[in-house]
Amino acid sequence: MTESPQETPFGTQEAFQAAFAELYPRLVSYGRRYGATFPEDIAQEAFVILMQREQRVEHPTAFLYGTVRTLSLTERRPMKNQNLSLEVVAEPGLAGGADDQVLNQEVRERMRLLSPTFREALWLFVVEGLSIREIADILGIPEATVKTRIHRAKAQLKDQLNPSGGVHVLV
Amino acid sequence: MSWSDPARRFEPVEDVQLRAELRDLLGLGAQTGTHTAEPTAELKALGDDLRREAQRRSRTQRKRPSWGLLAAAALPLLAALAGLGNWGFQQKQRADGLALQAQRQEQQLSQLAQTHASEVAKERQAKEEIQQKLQLASRKSGQRAEPYLVIPIEKPHKVMGDDYQRVKQKPE
Repeated sequence: MTESPQETPFGTQEAFQAAFAELYPRLVSYGRRYGATFPEDIAQEAFVILMQREQRVEHPTAFLYGTVRTLSLTERRPMKNQNLSLEVVAEPGLAGGADDQVLNQEVRERMRLLSPTFREALWLFVVEGLSIREIADILGIPEATVKTRIHRAKAQLKDQLNPSGGVHVLV
Repeated sequence: MSWSDPARRFEPVEDVQLRAELRDLLGLGAQTGTHTAEPTAELKALGDDLRREAQRRSRTQRKRPSWGLLAAAALPLLAALAGLGNWGFQQKQRADGLALQAQRQEQQLSQLAQTHASEVAKERQAKEEIQQKLQLASRKSGQRAEPYLVIPIEKPHKVMGDDYQRVKQKPE
């Protein structure tokens, strides 16, 4: 199904402008966290690929995040560490991302202690605000696996807050 | 948010509660409202540029060749393969015919050899029988048996004039 020139993956042109204004800085930040050298180019390329598709994309936000993730990982494939970085993202020419403003040192430290697999799902769910379905599309895994990872991340966070496990306190 | 995404619009309540709980665990606090900043002129221009780029790529994108074109491109190859197969089939037929002919000739030769061997055996048997008879006859007549076979020849009683050939001319 092809889209008319006036129609965008997000609906009207005004809706596309609003979605682009909200998603573009987040996608740039997301690509930079995966170690992309040119995250702006990757985010723009993701938008172009989305709008170039002849068939309508069911979840455009998930498609954009998945494309940015894939392109960023492809760019830094020779490097060994492919985990999501938690360092403060400095964006030249743009104000700091919303996630960087809210993520203080303590939050970053808590997320750093999580295993990388759980951290990625937790980041997309909590910080990026994506749904389970969208995260499953981005990571290419079933929704049940995403839920499992998020719940395990939650359990690890609880363990961090209560390292005694809550049992020894009664003794 | 002013733009719609079905995955976000129909998110279950328990997922929303789980997200809020995780935000509390991380110390992020409650999620702020869905206020979004008005897109700046720079972002609007960038979005329009990307849309035009996507349209330009869609127009200039090289279309995949159709099945008809692929078939036309593969036609010479198919013809060559068919010709090669036909030639190979003919060669095989010819080789099979030659093999059959050679087999028949071999059978004929073996039959001839068998016939010849049986004839030789018969002659040898007849010779032995004659020798035995001659030995018996010589013993009966008290003469020493000839060590060789004597075949009696009937000599002509009278030499005819045309029966001999002059080998030398008469002296004149």
